Amino acid sequence: MKLILALAFIIFLVGLVIRGKSWFSGGVGSQTIDTSIIQRFSLALKSVFGTLFSSKVINALTTFLTDIVLQKRLFQKSIGRWTAHMLIFTGFLLLLVTHGLGEGVSNALFSDYYATLQPYLSLRNVFALMVLVGLGIAIYRRVSDKPKRVQSYTSDWLAIGFVGAIIITGILLESSKISSYSYYQGMVEEYGDVSDEQEALALETYWASEHGLISENVTKPYNQELVEEGRAVSENSCIECHSPTSGAFVSFSLAKVIGPLVSKGDKFLYVVHLLTCFGFLAWLPFSKMFHIVSVPVSLLINGVRGFKQPVEASEASLNRQMIGLSACTHCGSCSELCSSLMFYESFQNDFILPSEKVQLLKKVAEGETIPTDTKEHLQKGLYICTSCDRCSTICPSGINLRELFITARYSLLAEGKPETALLSHFSFPLALAQNFVDDHLKALKKVEEQFKKLFQKLSDLSKLTISRPGGLDNTSFQSCYTCQRCTNICPVVRLYDDPQETLGMLPHQIIFSLGVGKTELAAGSQMIWSCSTCYLCQEHCPNKVELTDIFYSLKNSAIKKIDTGGDK
Amino acid sequence: MKLAFFQGCNIPIRIEQYATSLEAVLSKFGVSLVEIKEFTCCGYPIRNVDEKSYILPSVRNIALAEAEGLDILVACNCCFASLQKAKHMMERLPSLKAEVNEILDKEGLVYHGTAQIKHFLTVLHEDVGIEQIKKVLVNRYTELNLSVIQGCHILRPREVTTFDDSFVPKITDNLVQVTGARSLDWQGKLECCGAALSGINNELSAALLNEKVDRAIEAGAEYLTPVCAYCYLQFDTAQANMRASGQQSIPVLLYSQLLGLVLGIDEKQLGIELNSTINSRHISHLKSILGPPVEEKKKRKKKAKTTA
Repeated sequence: MKLILALAFIIFLVGLVIRGKSWFSGGVGSQTIDTSIIQRFSLALKSVFGTLFSSKVINALTTFLTDIVLQKRLFQKSIGRWTAHMLIFTGFLLLLVTHGLGEGVSNALFSDYYATLQPYLSLRNVFALMVLVGLGIAIYRRVSDKPKRVQSYTSDWLAIGFVGAIIITGILLESSKISSYSYYQGMVEEYGDVSDEQEALALETYWASEHGLISENVTKPYNQELVEEGRAVSENSCIECHSPTSGAFVSFSLAKVIGPLVSKGDKFLYVVHLLTCFGFLAWLPFSKMFHIVSVPVSLLINGVRGFKQPVEASEASLNRQMIGLSACTHCGSCSELCSSLMFYESFQNDFILPSEKVQLLKKVAEGETIPTDTKEHLQKGLYICTSCDRCSTICPSGINLRELFITARYSLLAEGKPETALLSHFSFPLALAQNFVDDHLKALKKVEEQFKKLFQKLSDLSKLTISRPGGLDNTSFQSCYTCQRCTNICPVVRLYDDPQETLGMLPHQIIFSLGVGKTELAAGSQMIWSCSTCYLCQEHCPNKVELTDIFYSLKNSAIKKIDTGGDK
Repeated sequence: MKLAFFQGCNIPIRIEQYATSLEAVLSKFGVSLVEIKEFTCCGYPIRNVDEKSYILPSVRNIALAEAEGLDILVACNCCFASLQKAKHMMERLPSLKAEVNEILDKEGLVYHGTAQIKHFLTVLHEDVGIEQIKKVLVNRYTELNLSVIQGCHILRPREVTTFDDSFVPKITDNLVQVTGARSLDWQGKLECCGAALSGINNELSAALLNEKVDRAIEAGAEYLTPVCAYCYLQFDTAQANMRASGQQSIPVLLYSQLLGLVLGIDEKQLGIELNSTINSRHISHLKSILGPPVEEKKKRKKKAKTTA
């Protein structure tokens, strides 16, 4: 057993080193930064010391108290979730210090510690029950999540399962110890002061009657006299070091029910329980449970730095990104309140949801090869974002999702296919913040080129043929009588000396071309992308042609055409 | 009066002072604002890409307010238009309504169409009323010239927004006048701030913005007052980036901040200093022109009477 423990511990340590190393290597957008793991590590050390010896240390301390110990961010998100997590977190932690780390540690921490004495006997059960109730809430939450937007992966269930397994095998082990005859015998031999067989029988009867022991020698109904005699013996030789087993109320009650089943399995269950714990230890750094290390780090960084600084590609941001990615527990808090939630419903693209983006970005950051179509989905998902920063505000792990997503967006746009979503107002906050200005313009250029490839311009045509109007639901263009009021009032047209040169077609020309069946020509004109959507033309049209609405429809169909590669 | 406050995506993270100042102002009139955490984006940003995706979020947002039995208060013109457009479409297209309700049903929501969408200006002008505002005034600006930028999506298309007369709007002017400030007639008043083109065609967006700034200054405006989150971000945040060095710029004051000062609300609570175009000099100027809450004309009449 000791050997297995040592092995598990070594794997755990190696895992910590590997995971820790990943904080300082790779990252989305790391290709553009020339740096080494040592440089990034020393930078991190420098910032840690910089914080320790500055007034920022107060922020770090407050964060430690509110966000890490009290888990305030989780509380603000949902009281149910906070309750579940707090129960698991405190229950497990307390079990660890009062039981899990071994007698040596427990004795050092608590001077009167004795595993079989109160309050430790009951406390173990209280703590185990806390974890189980917490896990129950967590499972219920995952199963009952109605819209089913956030997915539950194997890794999520595995984490719940592993923690649950530790607790359940522990309780089973305790129940079997309570009912096990051989275990009882061992205890009597070692500690019991029993002079003759009569006393031994009395003690056995008493323990079977009161403390859940299952013995073939004594059967119900118990001889009350023997029970009383046994009680006296027990008081002399047992009770001093062993409180009544009913104190371990969960295991005791369980032993009453399943005692006969487990009474002979105490040695087996001991091995199972320990192996589960060692397995958990070895598995921890490679799993979602690594969050018990990474989340406090991520929260501390967030507490000191916040997430509102301008986004820039730097070593520090890469470090924070990698720590953040390892701190994501895939809890789905961000996605539940994502402003783009409904866009997920209409596009059915998982990567619109922040929690799902992060799962894939973890792989991208580690340099894994991602299939092209998945990458295109991710790129679109990254762009369909309102930059409301709710995810960063809400993330219980304090991950700087804003910075991660913006960096990833431009990193993917640089190599990916032309992104039509750039032509949406999602671009507004990006332009406003003036991050990655050149990359943004380059990406826009790519889309423009795609337009040139797929659409004919008015000036390319040698003559205009007439065909049946079509392709638009809004048919108000039919009532146009070319008074040109739309063009005359347009504030965009007014800005240019030679508007037709820049805009390709003027508003009235677009409406006219729709009338002669040239919908494609209209959809390819620069004018619709220069429209400020001020609705002045539509409002002033004497014949109620809904110009701005029509322009929106044309934009929609142009984007559809590009996204489907020109098939539409 | 209790209303669900639809803040949209920009206000909570980029214009917090818009929300706080508005809440402070409305509380003076017994209007309380409720936060609905589940509100999402109004859908406006996706409109260039896909019309149905544009409508869906607004329908859900209205359904959320309906579930709470509340009408919605909006402080951004684009959010306002999206919500109104969604209502408009739902009334006209029963098939779309059924389709959207099916999606909403997944989370137990239903769109009925009972909740009203109110721009905060409507709440002040119709539900509170100019007379009521006058009664509560603590101060009045004695000498202040403003250029109101009305914004586009609050007024047009009129069949959808149904906010005010789309050619000769009066609500905002009335609300400015009650503070004692003068709302100037100027050329950009009913036009576009350029936000819709920002990030898509930056030059054009900047040209539209600069044109408005120049015109407002020409008209003699001391401050510019937007009533929309996008207009505010253009004039306050983007203005600094887009004005060439040496070009004059104009400070921007939100309507809720303008009104807040004459209601006696502290400038800190109104978050005026958070506007990037405003400095302490502007704040002391604004405070220096606060006078008693009586209209000038009446005062003169009274004087005339006493002298006679």
